[in-house]
Amino acid sequence: MKQSPQLNQVQENMRPGVLTLHGFLGTDKRDLVEILEEDEAEVRRIGTTHRVIADKMAVLRDRGKDGLGEFIDVEPNFEVRVDSVRGGIPSPFGGPGLIPKTNTTVRNTRIGREIVYTDINIHLIGEHGFYEGKGSLFRLEPHELVEILEINPEEQQTELPR
Amino acid sequence: MFSALIISVGAVSGISAFLAILMVIADATIANYGEVKITINGDHEYEVRGGKPLLGTLMEQEIFIPSACGGRGSCGLCKVTVKEGAGQYLPTELPWLSEEEQQNNVRLSCQLKVKNDMQIEIPEELFNVKEFQSKVTKVRDLTHDIKEVTLEVVDPPDISMVPGQFVQLRIPEYELTDEPVYRAYSVASNPSDTKHVELEIRLVPNGIATTYVHNYMKEGDEVIFNGPYGDFFLRETEREIVCIAGGSGMAPIKSILLSMAEKGINRRTRYFFGARSKKDLFLVEEMRRLEQELPNFEFIPALSNPEEEDEWQGETGLITDVVAKHMESGENTEAYLCGSPGMIDACVKVLSDKGVPDELTYYDKFG
Repeated sequence: MKQSPQLNQVQENMRPGVLTLHGFLGTDKRDLVEILEEDEAEVRRIGTTHRVIADKMAVLRDRGKDGLGEFIDVEPNFEVRVDSVRGGIPSPFGGPGLIPKTNTTVRNTRIGREIVYTDINIHLIGEHGFYEGKGSLFRLEPHELVEILEINPEEQQTELPR
Repeated sequence: MFSALIISVGAVSGISAFLAILMVIADATIANYGEVKITINGDHEYEVRGGKPLLGTLMEQEIFIPSACGGRGSCGLCKVTVKEGAGQYLPTELPWLSEEEQQNNVRLSCQLKVKNDMQIEIPEELFNVKEFQSKVTKVRDLTHDIKEVTLEVVDPPDISMVPGQFVQLRIPEYELTDEPVYRAYSVASNPSDTKHVELEIRLVPNGIATTYVHNYMKEGDEVIFNGPYGDFFLRETEREIVCIAGGSGMAPIKSILLSMAEKGINRRTRYFFGARSKKDLFLVEEMRRLEQELPNFEFIPALSNPEEEDEWQGETGLITDVVAKHMESGENTEAYLCGSPGMIDACVKVLSDKGVPDELTYYDKFG
């Protein structure tokens, strides 16, 4: 698919030094539309949606906040820590203002794997289906999110037991 | 007729675009704004060469505005009020400024170029901020993910600050960054030692600065930092003091306590420190030593999830619950908090419920 002028502008915003020092694309040379399409296909192949993935990320982030900066157990088998650094980042797609620089670390103790994501990851995945370009420090692979966060393919309801 | 119209519109658009590009190139290469005058807070005047961003221009005059990204417009910290001479807001400034800030002529100094005489306002304490050359004299592990870094101040040879303030450490180019970046860290040492600055830095996943400190920084390295900044410091009153921190939030509280011990300030002080398990707890012996020096000081560490092998006898639970358990009325109390926004928000609520007036709750939020 040909990239629209709007996506051209968004891709420009994602370049290093425009909104963040390293930008959002890493070493990925593809057009943004190709990155989006490929991840969209991957998510569809897994049998879930960007919204379901982002919702689960947000739920675990919100539960992790209860740890007040330290790891906290979240049922059924997660340890979650939410910590913040100074400042905020605007979305390269425009709106919704500054997104806090919050890191969520999720350890899945059942499979012994860990993943780290930021609030802007949650926004970019949920609202735009964007997991960042290959080689970006904050790139997330959809299949890793699904495996580590234990997102069931048919999952629509992401509320965790308290 | 229609095609002539299209050609005309196209030609006008093309010429406009060409002229706009030409203006940008000319502004960047041949524009000469000459000498301009920057007046700060009405009474400090500086003759400077125009054409560069305000942040860098002020830095050349040894006036340092806090900025965590080194002037690339990606942290939104370097705000100043420009009363005259700023011109229109730039698109790169707007995401960082609220409507109220725009009404009050707040600008992002790294984006705003100095082209005319300007009148600006900055906090008076920024005149005390300097850039320091320093040397790393010690790096040690406090926990599995927090390091203590001691810097010896070289040039200027002394730093003057108050306990609780922070500095901005310059991280040089390395594997994760092609350009230097600046990050803010609270000072943990007693400011009466004007030759050294001690920092406590927790490893942030994928963090450019913290990865450098944890994996690359070594004793003997030369390091640049600027500071001091911030208004998180002990107020001179007779009230009781409650301090609450977690993780590297220990740093400014420790600085305040060391200063209190040295000055013999013996107000009733309780310090609640939250960690998950014993491996996340640090400087306990130093806090116990301070308890000996300050008879009215009590250190109350709390573990939210102690391991069995910790054999922990102290307080357990979230720090908010432990504070609530220990505090009676907070009417004659002032509070000092340092940690993540989530921790601060939760603690402010507990303190407020206990009667600590909101205006007497001071915090250094990492947000």
